[in-house]
Amino acid sequence: MEQLINLLGIASVITIFILSIVIILKMGKINELKALVESLKRSLDEMDEQAKLIVRTDMELNKTQEELDKKVTGLYALQRLSRTISTTLEEGQIFRMVEPIYLEELGFEKTCAFLWNNKEQRFALQLNIGYVEDELKSIKSFADSNKETFLDLIRNEKTISSISIPKDTLLREQFTGVFKVTDFVVSPILPKEGNKGFLFVGTQNTDITLTEGDEELITIFSNQIGQALENARLFEKTWLSQQELEKKVEERTHALQFALNEVKTISRRKTDFISAVSHELRTPLTSIKGYASILLAGKLGDLPDDVRSRLDKINRHSDELTHLVNDLLDISRIESGKVTMKMGPADLRKILEGVSDLLSVQLKERQIDFSSDLPEDASMVYADTSQISRVFINLISNAMKFTPPDGKISIRSFKLGNDAQVDVTDTGCGIPEEAQEAIFEEFYRVDNAVNQQVKGTGLGLSLVKHIIEAHKGKIWVRSRPNQGSTFSFTLPLLK
Amino acid sequence: MIKVGVGFSEEKDQIAAAKEAVRHARMGIAGEKISLAMVFSTIDFAHTSLLKTLSVYMEGVPLIGCSGAAVISKKGIYKHGLIVMLFSLPAEVYFNVASVKDIKAKTPQAAGEELGEKLLYGFQNVRRDVGIILSDGLMEESSNLVYGLQDKLGKSFPIVGGCASDNLAFKKTYVYSNEEMMSDAACGIVLGGKLNFGIGVKHGWKPLGKPRRITRSTGNVVYEIDGVAAANIYEEYLASDAQQLRKELKRISILYPLGVYLPGEEEYLLRNLVSIQEDGSLVLLGNVPQDSLTRLMIGTKESCLEATKQAIEEVNRGLFGRKINFVLVFDSISRYILLGRQAEKELNIIRESLNPDAEIIGVYTYGEQAPLMAINYQGRTYSHNQTVTVLGVAG
Repeated sequence: MEQLINLLGIASVITIFILSIVIILKMGKINELKALVESLKRSLDEMDEQAKLIVRTDMELNKTQEELDKKVTGLYALQRLSRTISTTLEEGQIFRMVEPIYLEELGFEKTCAFLWNNKEQRFALQLNIGYVEDELKSIKSFADSNKETFLDLIRNEKTISSISIPKDTLLREQFTGVFKVTDFVVSPILPKEGNKGFLFVGTQNTDITLTEGDEELITIFSNQIGQALENARLFEKTWLSQQELEKKVEERTHALQFALNEVKTISRRKTDFISAVSHELRTPLTSIKGYASILLAGKLGDLPDDVRSRLDKINRHSDELTHLVNDLLDISRIESGKVTMKMGPADLRKILEGVSDLLSVQLKERQIDFSSDLPEDASMVYADTSQISRVFINLISNAMKFTPPDGKISIRSFKLGNDAQVDVTDTGCGIPEEAQEAIFEEFYRVDNAVNQQVKGTGLGLSLVKHIIEAHKGKIWVRSRPNQGSTFSFTLPLLK
Repeated sequence: MIKVGVGFSEEKDQIAAAKEAVRHARMGIAGEKISLAMVFSTIDFAHTSLLKTLSVYMEGVPLIGCSGAAVISKKGIYKHGLIVMLFSLPAEVYFNVASVKDIKAKTPQAAGEELGEKLLYGFQNVRRDVGIILSDGLMEESSNLVYGLQDKLGKSFPIVGGCASDNLAFKKTYVYSNEEMMSDAACGIVLGGKLNFGIGVKHGWKPLGKPRRITRSTGNVVYEIDGVAAANIYEEYLASDAQQLRKELKRISILYPLGVYLPGEEEYLLRNLVSIQEDGSLVLLGNVPQDSLTRLMIGTKESCLEATKQAIEEVNRGLFGRKINFVLVFDSISRYILLGRQAEKELNIIRESLNPDAEIIGVYTYGEQAPLMAINYQGRTYSHNQTVTVLGVAG
């Protein structure tokens, strides 16, 4: 029994020993686990600290991103707005172009703009978004009673905002109170000429933090308005002065038209007078020439020589006079439109052939070399054949008159667009420059040796000019004294 | 076969806009009889004359809709616009439209029950498929409205929806029901009979930092996290005091919402911050169960857009490969803000994942409703924040 107890005692001692060892071992494990948990907890805390850093950095990043987004949106809106207002040329329209959507994208919901009226010494409202009538009234009276504040901004070209005006100042409170906003920007509108003013933008949204970037954007915006106003005013000014100019031109044209009519009337009277006088002259001239012819023919008996020579003179002078009267009559008829050109296809080569036949004897007598070159494509014209042959006769006779023996007369034509140009060139004494225009006037004669000897009516070139102009052509002369002259005229080519 | 037509207008005048949008939408259904209309508009169109005109031009068909910070169509995202979708439903598809007013006075739970009851009207012997609800976006306890609905329609009845929004002023949002424009209200539609649909809901925000436990909360207010004032979590992570946090509340709420761990779900349930109370408690947009694990969440543009892809995949899984006819998108305004100039990319993802002739209509919301997919939740609908919630309908 005792042995059993001893045995049990020993066993229990062993058991206790073993258990103790197990416990000791377990304790070690527990401690190990505890340490593990501790370290896990520590790393979790560390991670949490990292998380805090991440959140704070993320917050900063997000704020920057927001700011950037806002700026990009604002810039985009500003760009579209600028494009719209810069193409507006009417002052009154410029402010109407500012639509709420642009303002919203710039980050504001309220705006108003005033221009200073120097005459009336008060601000005039130009733009309003987001204010009702009553609010506008108090804003207006605020602007007028604090006009020096606003005029200072204009004078100093300075933008102010809820960033630059410190909190708790009277001005800040007035702005936020009167304009009913929490944040705002006020920027001057500065066109170079005319009324200047200011632009106000504001927001009630407390989530938005106004930045210097916003201030810059609004300053750019108000500058754009100023620029647009300037353009519009300049345009209006230019437009007005142009209107004035046009009016003056019209008045002047009117006066000129009147004078022209006067001249026309006088000219018509002159033509009528010449025509009447010429007719009246022709009848007695015919009788004078008739009687002179009868006398010269000896039908009333023989005449003494000196009487005959006087009668010859009478006869010759009457011929000259008749010629002059006929030319005058022709001119006046063409001028008054009584003679209509018998227009039709006309061949310049044929006309010239006829004319040169007629003049060939005189050309030979004067030993003048005559040549012509009228190519086929510059020969068929639309004209009155008999009148054009008169033109050639006159021009060639003139050339002969002033070209010394052994000289040259050449005629040449060429195509010039829809016209044929004909040049009649001689190697005569030429025409002084100052007389080149006047020779086409009636009764004008160049003062030179030939003219002093050779008689002429001074009507030939005038008649030629009238005929060419009646064909809608032009005539002119190029000449240098002692080097000959070239008379050129144009006629419409046959189509 | 359900036929839909979408019309859009940017006309500033509400009446002209209504006319134009309806005219375009009618072209889409090519002369078929209109059964139903869904209308989303930005806040500047929210006007009774809009609904009156719509009603006249659509011969008084049932209409539901709401206001939003922006509206979505196949063609783009619009900060000013009106979008109308007309439905021509075949005889075998049933629907019922209803609304509830004065939610605050009635309590959201009771209002939800009332809406549920009205929606059930006429659905005794017909299979109910899906519910769509639109509610005032400034209602904090929208979760309770959903609970109320579920009490009538069934806990596992799938409901998708969105909370109306305004132009981020958080002043007034509207829901449209027939000719009425209402705040402090909700409207909805139950579709049944033979309808094939799939739902996708995803946000893309990832958990960050140590998991913490919500140790004290009721409804949508969290008092304590890990035994200390709930606001502590934000103060710690952002290294700023409550006052500073309040100043940047909107940004913080969108960028770093609280995430509630849902066992079995792929993503955490997100909760935006509504306010930080003086006692350090956090008021959230949507309820949070006490004792759940929570973490601070962080999102990037990439993760956000990746979530959109996944949401569409989820829709397709629900449709078992059937061709999508149209999708209804409730897209959180937070995503619009986070994506900024890349917001159109999200629409591109949706557009590219659909057939070219499938229609898209959507609105930006202050909260979304969608069922949870994991087995544990038996398809029960929850209120979500920051998600893109897509309802795709086939055939």
